[in-house]
Amino acid sequence: MSNLKQKAEGKSDGEDSPDGGWGWVLVVAMFVSMSLVFGLMRSLGIFFMEFVQYFEESAQAISWISSIGLAAQQFFSPLSAALCNAFNARAVVMTGGFLAGLGLILASQATCLVHLYLTMGLISGLGWGLIFTPMVATVIANFSHRRTLALGLGFSSIGLSSFAFNPLFQLLVETYAWRGALLILGGLSLNIVPCGALIRPQPRPKALQKESKSTLSCSDVLRRFSSYLELSLLLERPYITYTLGVSLFNVGYFVPYFHLVAHSRQAGFSQYQAAFVVSAAGATDICGRVVSGWFSDLGHFRLIHLLSFWTLLVGLFIMLLPVSSLTGSYAALVVISLLYGFCSGALTSLVFAVVPKIVGVQRTMGALGLLQLIESSAGLLGTPLSGFLKDITGNYVASFLVAGSFLLLGSFTLATLPHFFSCTDPPLPVTDKSDSLPPELQQMSSLSTDANNQTDEPER
Amino acid sequence: MRPDGITNTEMSHDVTVKPDGGRAGARSCAAAAERSARRSRGRRMKTMPASWKLLLLPTLLLMTSCGRTDTKTLDPTQTPPASVPPLADLKREVVLKSENVTENIELRQLVRLFLECSLTADQNKLPNMTAFWSRDGQEIPDSRLTVALEKEQYGIQRLFNITSEEKVGTYSCVFENKVRADFVLATPRFREKRDKPVVSYVHDFVVLPCKMEGSENESLTWLWFKGNETHKERISAQPDRFEIRSQNLTSRLKLINLTFADAGFYYCAAVYAVGSTMNPIKLKVITFWEPLKPFIAILIAVVLLVVVIFLCEKQQSKKKVTEGNEENVDQNNIKLQEEEKGAEEGSSMRHRKV
Repeated sequence: MSNLKQKAEGKSDGEDSPDGGWGWVLVVAMFVSMSLVFGLMRSLGIFFMEFVQYFEESAQAISWISSIGLAAQQFFSPLSAALCNAFNARAVVMTGGFLAGLGLILASQATCLVHLYLTMGLISGLGWGLIFTPMVATVIANFSHRRTLALGLGFSSIGLSSFAFNPLFQLLVETYAWRGALLILGGLSLNIVPCGALIRPQPRPKALQKESKSTLSCSDVLRRFSSYLELSLLLERPYITYTLGVSLFNVGYFVPYFHLVAHSRQAGFSQYQAAFVVSAAGATDICGRVVSGWFSDLGHFRLIHLLSFWTLLVGLFIMLLPVSSLTGSYAALVVISLLYGFCSGALTSLVFAVVPKIVGVQRTMGALGLLQLIESSAGLLGTPLSGFLKDITGNYVASFLVAGSFLLLGSFTLATLPHFFSCTDPPLPVTDKSDSLPPELQQMSSLSTDANNQTDEPER
Repeated sequence: MRPDGITNTEMSHDVTVKPDGGRAGARSCAAAAERSARRSRGRRMKTMPASWKLLLLPTLLLMTSCGRTDTKTLDPTQTPPASVPPLADLKREVVLKSENVTENIELRQLVRLFLECSLTADQNKLPNMTAFWSRDGQEIPDSRLTVALEKEQYGIQRLFNITSEEKVGTYSCVFENKVRADFVLATPRFREKRDKPVVSYVHDFVVLPCKMEGSENESLTWLWFKGNETHKERISAQPDRFEIRSQNLTSRLKLINLTFADAGFYYCAAVYAVGSTMNPIKLKVITFWEPLKPFIAILIAVVLLVVVIFLCEKQQSKKKVTEGNEENVDQNNIKLQEEEKGAEEGSSMRHRKV
């Protein structure tokens, strides 16, 4: 009997599953849904020109649409984590896909700017928020050996789709005007629903059903609510340190996205040259995500060490960007941008892969939700600060230097994590939370913690 | 002897000038000033140079008194003559060697145009060269000159008063060795040319924009037309169909409550004193059914995908259940086999022990 049981477990812990088979199908689902969420968000700029003309509003009023969308996506992340913990991830992602599509479809009928804020901003933002955390957490739970590669492949879709969506959106707007284009985009966003359908739900454990039957008192509800949101994580030092580090990354990370073109133009290069620099950085970003994912999974280094390494490099390259352009050499600017793109992509695929190493796979869902919320509020600080510095000094050198220094600060914060300087991963804190696990993660986590224990030793 | 003694008598003659003659008064003033200046010049030959100042004084007095008489003789009920806007000065120079040169000049207002052509002498270094000016290919009469070689160049200049739209054209300086420079005068062109049509929906409204490059405080007059290359109709603001909003360098035509008849070409014209430039914009009107077709196709594809995924999952779970049952049966069989084995071993051991 025990032989058979070990055989069954061994089959799941090995290279086939959960690291293969259905896991790769989920990577495809993540690829498609990430591209339809973030790739779409990045390419919405094409609509803004049309909105400025049609609604006769200022560009700033129009840009609030994407700000509201992004803020909603990040604000509702803990909510989506809680809903996944309460119900199942499949339902949450499918609902999120439906809401994202619905928001865009309703936006095609808008007659004033406020309609756009509510539909494209709030409804679609809520939908996007419901999609991101469960998708990433599911892929994390389904992989142990090739986790970072899977995440890197999933996130590479964002860069690729923003290349593909720009001409596609341009074509849609030219053929159907912005109303028809938004309608078709809503239809495209509905493709996230089948992606969510691919997440296999697990049968609900009996313990959870028992709890729901008993009468709920106020303290019970609060307790369950806080456990769904994984609020207890906020009291743990490793998680707080990690979140602080990632928040510091976020302050500086987006500055080149917003200011690289303007800075290149100011350094004296033409519009075409500046656009090429940004595209080149975007291309190496995609490569960086996949390559760093593959390399991290080889197991030569600890993920946290690799993350610190990449963030140090990104901070360094951001600080070098204005220096290279000030020398007036276009080749230097292109080289530094390529390197920056590669390292920032490498950083992205690792950021979320480190989370289960710190909090364990069981609590990854809630941890990701809270992480998204906290890091996004830091990201809100970054761009206005860099704009402010530019207004004071007159050029972008100070903004880039400060952004790079925030990244360096973040990587030093990571160094204060417990067991940072040891060569193996620290043991995960043992928690008695088996009754409030999300159903599909519960089964997978029991398999993958065994896998984790097996993979910890070779990691030197 | 006082120099202004003579001028005073000249002045007394001018007081009887006609009432309508602001200009006439000025002319006789100028004539009187010229005459007195000539006499003073004659006297100058005999007197010392220090008397220059004395010469200036009477001429100044003459001018100012002329001005006063002008105002006195003007009838207050008469409207003053319309003031001609001062023409701006624009100068263009071209250096020619052996090839023809074309220079584009952008005109936004009426100008006094100074054009200068300098031809660099070739190895022949002829002492003289004839050249003339032409306009739109036709030689301007009385413009043919013989130019002398000066500092290795033959230079020719002319002043053109561009005072109306008819005077806008192509002016050229042509040298006898057939080398010419063409100055093409034109109103400013529109930079952004939109080659894709603007699309909008029936019962919706659309805004057609036009933007011209220029300085900030420049204020243009804008006109809108609908039609085609040959026949254009002026659009005037009608409250329930068209709305034109023009501000300095941009103009917007808003078409409200579109119908299929509103599709076609629209032209915005920026009007300058020296002419106007037109920019065509094409409008296409479609119904909402156009984007609805691909949308419904995508919707059907999404629903099919979801159904297929759920069906596949049901099938796989059914397989798993049957497999699970088979596995349980296998496990039971193996259990029984092991028990039997154990029993056998036990019995064999018992045998051995015994």
